[in-house]
Amino acid sequence: MWSYVVRRVLYNVPIFLVIVLILMALLRINDPVAARLGKVASAEAIAAERERMGLNRPFLRQYAEFLWDFARMDFSERSWDQAQTVGQVVFPSVVPSLSITVPALALSACVSIVIGLIAAANRGKFIDRALMLGAVLGMCVSYLVYIILGQKFGAFWLSERLGTRVFAVQGYEDWTTWSQPLNAVRTWAHYCLLPVLISVVVTMGYDTRFYRAVIVEQATSDYVRTARAKGCGERRVMFKHLLRNAMIPIITRIMITLPFVVVGSLLLEIFFGIPGMGRTLYNSIINRDFPVTQAVVALLAAIFIASNILTDVLYAVVDPRVRLS
Amino acid sequence: MSMRTVIVACLVSCVVAIAGAAAQPASKTIALPMRTDGPKSLDPAAGSTTYDNMATVQFYETLLQVCYYDESRFEPLLLAAMPERLDDGKRYRFRLKEGVRFHDDACFPGGRGRTVTADDVFYSWKRLTDKRNGLKNWWLLEDTIVGLDAFKDAQNAALDAGGSFDYDAPVEGFVKLSDLEFEVVLTKPVFRFLWVLTMFQMSVVPREAVERYGQDFASRPVGTGPFVLREWVPKQKLIAERNPNYHACTYPEASLWSEADRAAGLADAEGRRLPIADRIEFTMYVPDQPVWLEFQQGTLGYIELPFDYFSQAFNPRTKRMNADLRRRGVGYRAVPQLDMIFRAFNMDDPVVGGYTEDRKKLRKAISLAMDLQEFNDAFYSGLCVVYDGPIPPGLDGHPEGGRVQGAPRGPDPELARRYLAEAGYPDGRGLPTIRFYTSQGGNNADQVELLRRQLGRIGVRIDVQLVDFSTLIELVNKRSAPMFSFAWLTDYPDGENNLALFYGPNESPGSNHWNYKNPEFDALYEQGVVMGPGPERTALYERMRDIVIDDCPMIGSLARTRYYLTQPWLKNARPTERFWSWFKYLDVDDSKR
Repeated sequence: MWSYVVRRVLYNVPIFLVIVLILMALLRINDPVAARLGKVASAEAIAAERERMGLNRPFLRQYAEFLWDFARMDFSERSWDQAQTVGQVVFPSVVPSLSITVPALALSACVSIVIGLIAAANRGKFIDRALMLGAVLGMCVSYLVYIILGQKFGAFWLSERLGTRVFAVQGYEDWTTWSQPLNAVRTWAHYCLLPVLISVVVTMGYDTRFYRAVIVEQATSDYVRTARAKGCGERRVMFKHLLRNAMIPIITRIMITLPFVVVGSLLLEIFFGIPGMGRTLYNSIINRDFPVTQAVVALLAAIFIASNILTDVLYAVVDPRVRLS
Repeated sequence: MSMRTVIVACLVSCVVAIAGAAAQPASKTIALPMRTDGPKSLDPAAGSTTYDNMATVQFYETLLQVCYYDESRFEPLLLAAMPERLDDGKRYRFRLKEGVRFHDDACFPGGRGRTVTADDVFYSWKRLTDKRNGLKNWWLLEDTIVGLDAFKDAQNAALDAGGSFDYDAPVEGFVKLSDLEFEVVLTKPVFRFLWVLTMFQMSVVPREAVERYGQDFASRPVGTGPFVLREWVPKQKLIAERNPNYHACTYPEASLWSEADRAAGLADAEGRRLPIADRIEFTMYVPDQPVWLEFQQGTLGYIELPFDYFSQAFNPRTKRMNADLRRRGVGYRAVPQLDMIFRAFNMDDPVVGGYTEDRKKLRKAISLAMDLQEFNDAFYSGLCVVYDGPIPPGLDGHPEGGRVQGAPRGPDPELARRYLAEAGYPDGRGLPTIRFYTSQGGNNADQVELLRRQLGRIGVRIDVQLVDFSTLIELVNKRSAPMFSFAWLTDYPDGENNLALFYGPNESPGSNHWNYKNPEFDALYEQGVVMGPGPERTALYERMRDIVIDDCPMIGSLARTRYYLTQPWLKNARPTERFWSWFKYLDVDDSKR
């Protein structure tokens, strides 16, 4: 297995290099210097700023230097937009992102699988149709609508009615610094639970339909008929036989989502003021902060590659029929 | 106990538990909003945006400051008295206030902030010449102080040659008389120099802190300001606490305030030591909804009311605040901006540029086809002031009632068609499609549709290019945009700042984006720039304004009015955007929280 992993890593190195090359070239199509200096920019000020930002160096040298720093995980280059290093900008945003995306992923996956199972078990019946109708309705409404309504009613209106602030309209506090677990959970819930619930509502529609389709497909397989013929109870058929065989598409879906777990949920982070990776990446693009954009995208590319390899390994773990070669 | 009761009990417990996490503000703590993602740097020499300004001035101070009670004036801040004007304004003598100390910080011996001296002032201003700081604020002092331009060139050349930037090298125009007294010699008696001294980029910083913290100085402010930095989480929050060693500054006397301000209770804090609040907490807001909801929750001391929420707080027709907010004691202030929203022509363009009569007629025809009031009503809730020329309301040279006789103010499609025909394009025939550039942000996509429709009425066709702001600036700097649009917010309350945009030597990539060149205008500008306020200078400004209107390098203008809402518990609040150090005057009435 290890030789397979090493081989896959080596195959992906050129892909990674090309991604970074294309990214850096695309970023530099428009000159960021004039925008940074605003409407009053003399030629001298533009030249000084270009030198300060390191854009006066040849492109290939900038590329090589970035790769060298990245290979050493050296993120000490200064951000162009903030009075911090790239590392100081990027790494503190990981926990806020995970505070939203991990609970949201876990919750939506569990709930969606259960609903998918219920719908599949009642295929064609009223309960199946009702659940799928709910899923479609959930998908039809824009993410932004949920966010705006969530803030207005979930945070503002609820607080007005109860006379106390249950959920924050926006903002984030580092809940990991609390020494008492209860305080940590309370702080997390105050700032993060509402975005998590919104995220679950939105993603559940897509996930439920997908898991239902997977389970329905498995439910028509021979081994399910055999299990039933042998006298297995419906619960045992669903959870022991069927769910295990449906794991490959489920794992694939979850693993595909993993890089987005790290990069966060852009809209949620922007609207709820959560200083996560998504917002960091968005801000860096908007503000033409190349060092941060390059670092985040390169990290994301590396995580994508790693999660792809990990997915293949997990296939072999959950399904003995899969051989890695 | 039924399952339903258990579930309800659990939910209520959760709600109570979570609600406990919302921190209650301590006394004399004021939560304030910062629209957008906040400052990028707390180093005055590196700052340029409104939000850099808003944050930096809490920690650093300038020699002069804009008066809270009258924004058209300035007063001493780090100075003991107003600077003495010598040699007909070519030389200024300054005396620093005694006992002004920098914040206590580890960069000083024993961690105790030392007294500010004349050397600190010279050092701070020299930092604007150091290209390692980006030179983005050099324009403030360029060609202003004797010897400073030469100092800049020599030191930056030394850097290029691998040497060092010598801050101790003398500048002829910086004359130290004692630790607290100094003179500055100007290249010419430029009146705006005193306004420039109120700008945050001119703040005084200690050399020890710059040298000790290096690049981190941008996030470790050590100034003389009313507050010291407690915490800054970029793009999230910034918390500042009272500077216990703040020099003797008091709230303005009652006699200085206008009758209306006194009636509003703004003079009640007369003589109180500043800062009044113990702590100010800025939160950054990018979307508009959270800031509006949090204000309604009573969390934020004040907000700048987003345009999109205007109709929720005010009757759009009568501009009267809604009953609910009035009942809650919310106050408001309409703050006119020193603003110029315009559509511009590149005067070097072969089609729309040029100074011949037919080119002027073409530009005037386009101007006459436009209805700025329709833009105002459609996109700004009717809150803008529409005016002729480049000088915004409130400044010398602004036309009375916003109108100038003979200005090509639309909509006047008949006259527009006549001018268009006289320019050689009857009903637009033969006129090539004009490429119009503007930035993608805001509601610009909708605004250009209105522009297209208005110009289409006289047969003028435009090819709209919505580009990002950097591309727009790049195209304008390269003179590649025949027609374009953005806004100019005046840096200091003097019409000269806007008229400088039409001064020939400032052409692209300078601030004269239209590349306008008129020898008569340039001569008048050079005459006006050394004059102090007075009827003679106002007449000169009006003449320059009328020349610009007649040559028509731009169509405009619109000046926005922002509405600020204040909580009943926030005292001494008189929101303004002319300067941002007014948070030191704010107080909290906890009984009204």
